[in-house]
This record gives sequence, structure tokens and C-alpha cells, in this order.
Amino acid sequence: MPKELIKIENLTKKFGENTILKNISAVVNEGDVISVVGPSGAGKSTFLRCITLLEKPSGGNVFLEGDNLVGKSDKELEQVRQKVGMVFQNFNLFPNLSVLQNLTLAPIKVKKTNEAQAKKEALALLEQVGLADKADAYPESLSGGQKQRVAIARALAMKPDVMLFDEPTSALDPEMVGEVLDVMKQLAKDGMTMVVVTHEMGFAKSVSNQVWFMENADIQEKTEPNQFFEQPTTERAQEFLSKILES
Amino acid sequence: MKAKLSILITMMVMLFGTLGFSQISPAKIHASDSQDSTYKRIKERGYITLGTSPDYAPYEFQTTQNGKSTDVGMDISIAKKIAKDLGVKLKIKNMDFDSLLVGLQTHKVDMILAGMNPSPAREKSVDFSNVYYNGGQSILINKKDAGLYKDKSSFVNKKVAAQTGSIQYNLAKKQISGASVTGIEKGTDLILALQTNKVDGVVMEKPSAEAFAANNPSLKVIKGGFKLSGTDSSTAVALPKNSPVLKVHINSTIKEIKDQGLIPQYLKEAGSHLKSNTVNTSMSHYWKFFALGVGYTLLISVCSVFFGFLTGTLLAFMRLSKNKIFHAIAVAYIEFVRGTPLMVQLMFVYFGLGLFVNLPALTAGIIAVSLNSGAYVAEVIRGGINSIDKGQTEAAQSLGLSSRDQMRFVIMPQALKNIWPALGNEFISLIKESSIVSIIGVTDLIYQLKIVQSDTYRGVAPIVVAMVLYFVMTFSLSKVLEHYEGKFNHA
Repeated sequence: MPKELIKIENLTKKFGENTILKNISAVVNEGDVISVVGPSGAGKSTFLRCITLLEKPSGGNVFLEGDNLVGKSDKELEQVRQKVGMVFQNFNLFPNLSVLQNLTLAPIKVKKTNEAQAKKEALALLEQVGLADKADAYPESLSGGQKQRVAIARALAMKPDVMLFDEPTSALDPEMVGEVLDVMKQLAKDGMTMVVVTHEMGFAKSVSNQVWFMENADIQEKTEPNQFFEQPTTERAQEFLSKILES
Repeated sequence: MKAKLSILITMMVMLFGTLGFSQISPAKIHASDSQDSTYKRIKERGYITLGTSPDYAPYEFQTTQNGKSTDVGMDISIAKKIAKDLGVKLKIKNMDFDSLLVGLQTHKVDMILAGMNPSPAREKSVDFSNVYYNGGQSILINKKDAGLYKDKSSFVNKKVAAQTGSIQYNLAKKQISGASVTGIEKGTDLILALQTNKVDGVVMEKPSAEAFAANNPSLKVIKGGFKLSGTDSSTAVALPKNSPVLKVHINSTIKEIKDQGLIPQYLKEAGSHLKSNTVNTSMSHYWKFFALGVGYTLLISVCSVFFGFLTGTLLAFMRLSKNKIFHAIAVAYIEFVRGTPLMVQLMFVYFGLGLFVNLPALTAGIIAVSLNSGAYVAEVIRGGINSIDKGQTEAAQSLGLSSRDQMRFVIMPQALKNIWPALGNEFISLIKESSIVSIIGVTDLIYQLKIVQSDTYRGVAPIVVAMVLYFVMTFSLSKVLEHYEGKFNHA
């Protein structure tokens, strides 16, 4: 029986009168690589952001390793968020810090790792994402693909238990998508638990062990990738896939 | 004589009164006749504080003695005698003429000798001694026009100037028929206007007119021929209300001065200082004045930039805070401070707070300028923080950084880079606006400029020097700021 990392219970999110997430329940087990797919506006990003409480849910509970995050104070959340790595569509690197400093800031300030150790680990991570030579560069001098690889390394520097990716390749030029996906594939291979909101169906099909299809503020299907792409059960998923395959 | 802003200042004092400020020290302000607290205080402390405005030769002006700038003049000689007769030492506090009456009411000074005219309006707020001098009113003209003008009746269709709000101004308005009358703030500027033919004559108190003419061969004094009422050209010592004992002592000194005919002797002495003053009127001779002024202007500016930045940062965080009370306090403070003139704030700090704590003028100046600047800096910083993309905060949050560390290592460094030019603007205008502190007697560059003007009887040259010095200061600052702006860009 795999260990339950994240458990989402009746999660609801409303912006004013608009319901973005409707009563969602789901579980992420250790080692899972879950692709969250669906049409734009289905609530995928909001769902992901609610998991680390970057958005406060309007209702329901989010458990991380059995610990309910809903209702925690900002101070308590700081402790929890270290365990959850987050990669954003727009990278959100800190432009005032060098690549290396982007990686070492949180380990030094939050985990109180000593500076030499943090640097050593950061350089190893940069090596892993193929950017060891960019340690002293500033983000503005990097390409989009390089920025996103640095952002992944930055999240990994906190040694998280789970990584959340919010459309990590959507802001990239097509020729740079591959290098970022390669890094993510390697991570999955190494056993990292991942939840990935993506439009890359190839990644969803070949890397993930589960596909969650979201539409209309809810998860309509949770299935294995092969089944999802070959025999989707809901009409909506069928429509979505046929639109994607047409283009 | 001079009245200008004193109306405003008097109103402020009345406002403090209605706010209940005066009740804090009723014994001081409304002392009963039987106990003269001012006199008692003077005797206890062993000194009496004279308030004066040393830009009015030969009454009071500054001269350099042994490398130090000292107040001299007829009024100073009289004040020395008053102190001597009281058996106490004399301390002199220089401030803007307009601030003198408030200074007296708020006990910053014990008496005023500043060529002050005991007008009924002033008598409402302070007491006056007997008149010690009656100078009479004259008209100053250019010597080359000597054939054209005889007295006030010669100025039909001509231009006449006098000090704004002064008795001379009122006399010119009422009694010189057919002339257009211009009001000008400073005595030295009046002379400048005359010499540059902006006006044809300047109405001035006789001793001053004679001093100007004695030091400036191109000028000539003619008699005014004004119809004068009892107090129109008389001068007396101003002292706090309800100080009967002090008044008796001062009046007896005045009587002695009159009986012994000391006034002409005092005037002659003042004249000799004037001569030594005007031997060398080159600006380089006065470099010490300007250097001192630059020193004080820099001191005030540096302190105010520092404290203004601290206050501004604090206010910006308060305004951005979720705490409604902090937010409301910050908003109210910023709006109020931005909505009132720095000059009024300065007077409030110096005279208003002065009722509770005795702040030196320099400290009061730094406090007022810092608090004022803080309001503007707060808005600049708030704008800078708001300009940073929300994704930066989210990324920092998702790494588990505390909100303090997010601000310190991620948001503020980026905000600071964005607002650097705007902050530079604020600090440059702070250097210039700090000049307002000269009205409470802080010896900054503007104050020194006025002193040099009245010392040398030269109007333009000191202005040019001050202008160049201000520019050097602001330009250096903007170069320093540019240097650091470059550093932000990891070049």
C-alpha cells in the first residue's frame, strides 16, 4: 500500500459568485506522477495553487502527510510549504539575485543550512539540470528554457516531498519545451512525486501514471494514461481529445 | 516696521490656546501681577535671553569678530545694558523677525529688541516697555536723482518701495499721493530694487536709511515729510504679558540711557562695525559664512534623508498592512502632511511642541523636515512595492520564506531599484526645501545668504554664490545616486 502524500477533501473555491472548484476530492500517493489536463478555464491552475494554499480554499480540506493545511496561520504554512516545491508558468525567478543565490536563498534562510553546504548542493542541482556554468549569471541573461530549469532546481533545493508544476512549458518558445520536459522526465524516473498541470499530451501519456481530466470546476476522470487517451469514458474528455488531436 | 507673517504666527498661537495648549502652563502665561514668573526665571537662571533678527543695521546686524560671527548694533548695546543692570548674563537667540513674537509667547526668549514698533496689534499679544528710540521716517533715493526729489510730494507718477506689511509701507500707501507702491520683503532687496532702477525711492526708517547711504556712495537720504502719529516710528522692548517687575527694571534702564544720552554713542559704535564690515565686500571674504551655511544645510539634509527614509518605510508598511488601525494612521498622516505646508509644520514643531519640550531650532528643523519627507517617501516606497509582480511573492512563499524575509531579500531590493529615480528626486528637493529652517534661525545656507546680503549691502552676488553652492550639492547627490543605480543593473 503506497503512502498517502496529499489528500484533498471536498475542495471548493469561489471568486465572488464564480465557482472555480466544486467539491473536489482526490489523493496523491508517494511516487505518483499525475498530469492534470483539460481545457483552459477548467480550474486546473487554481486547483494546484489551492494545494499549497497560495489560494485559500472557500471550503473543504487539504491534508499534507495527514496534516490539514486549511485553517493554518501564515506562520504555520511557512513550515509546510518547504515540503511542497512549486514551479510556475512564468518562472518567477528573483531577478535581483544570481542563479546560485536563487537556489541558496531559501535553504539558508528557511532551513538554516550553512552557506558552503547550500552552495555545494545548489551547484549539484544546477549540474543536474545542465546549467552549472550559469551559477553566477543573473536571470535576465537566461533563455526561457534555462530560466525554467533554474526554477525547477530552485524548488528542488528545498528537498521537497512533492513537486507541483503549473503549466511549466506554456510560456516557452517551442524549441525550448523539450529541454524542460527532459528535466521533468528525469525527475519522474528518479521517483519524485509530481502533480503537473500541462497541455503537453505527449508528456502526460508517456511519463505520468495517472491523468486527471478537469472541466467545469471538477475532475471528470481519473484514469491511467493509456485508457484516457484511447478510451476516455466521459463525453467531455472525448470532445477535448478530439479537439487536441485535430490541431 | 516689519509685520509680515506675524499675523499667521499669532493665529497659530491662538489656535494652540483654544486647543488647550496654554492651559499646560497657565502660571507662565497668565501670571498674576503679584508674581512675575519671567523675572523670577531670569534671576534663577542667571541669564536673560534676547530675541532678535540681525539683518537690520544699525539696530542689529552681524559682524565678524576674531573669526566669529557676532551680533552688534544699537539694540544689542541696549540689551547688554539691560542684562547688566539686572545683574544677569545676556544670551542672544537669532531668528526670523516674523517668528520673534511667537518665540516670546512660547518662552523661547525673554525679551525682544529688534527695532520693533509697539503697535496696538502687537500689544494684544505682548507687552512693551517705554519707547527707547524714535528714528523718524526718511526716503532713500539714488544720488544721481538728487535734483528730482525733495520729499514725499515729489513722487507723483513714480514708483516707491517699502518693506511688505511695514509701517513705512502703510505710510507710503496713505501719504504719497499719485505714486505706485511696491512691497518687498527684505531690506537688502529694497536697496537692490532702487539701485537697479526698479523703483525711484524707498521709504525707510531714518537710521537704517542713513546706514545704507553711509555705506553706499550712490545712495542719498532725503527727508520724508510724513505726518506721523505717536508710535509710528518709535521702537520699544517687547516682553511677555504680565511681567511687571521685568518691565519696571527695563524702563529704568531705558530712562538711564536717555538721561545719559547713550543712544548716539551706541549708534556711532554700530557705525564703526558697519565700516569694518564693508571694507571688503567680496564674496570670498565671506567664505566662512557660506561654508557654515553649507555645513548646516548638509547636516539637516543628511539627517532628514536618513530619518525621512526610516519614517517613510515604516509608514509604507503600515499603509500596506492588513491591520486597519495601522493603515488608517498611515493614510491620515500621509494625507495631512502632504496637505499642509512645510513652513507651517516647522513652526508647529518648533513653537507648538516647544510648549512641552524645549527643542533647539536645529533639532526642530531636522524633525520637521524628516517627518515631512517621510510622507512623500512612504508613497514612493508603497508604489515600488506594488510595482513588483505578485509571482515574486508567490515564488518566495512557496519556498517557505517568512513574510519578513520575502520583503527583505526579494521584494524590497527590486522595489528599491524601481523607485530609485523617484527617491533621488525626493532627496534632491529635500536639500532645497530644507532652506525653510532659516525662518526659525537655523544658520543654514539661506540664513547665511541673508546675513551676507545685509552685511555687504550687495544683493545679487550672495544669491549667485548660494545658487552655485546649492547646485553643487544637488548635482553631487544626483551623481552619487546614479552610481548606485548602475550597481543595481549588475553591470
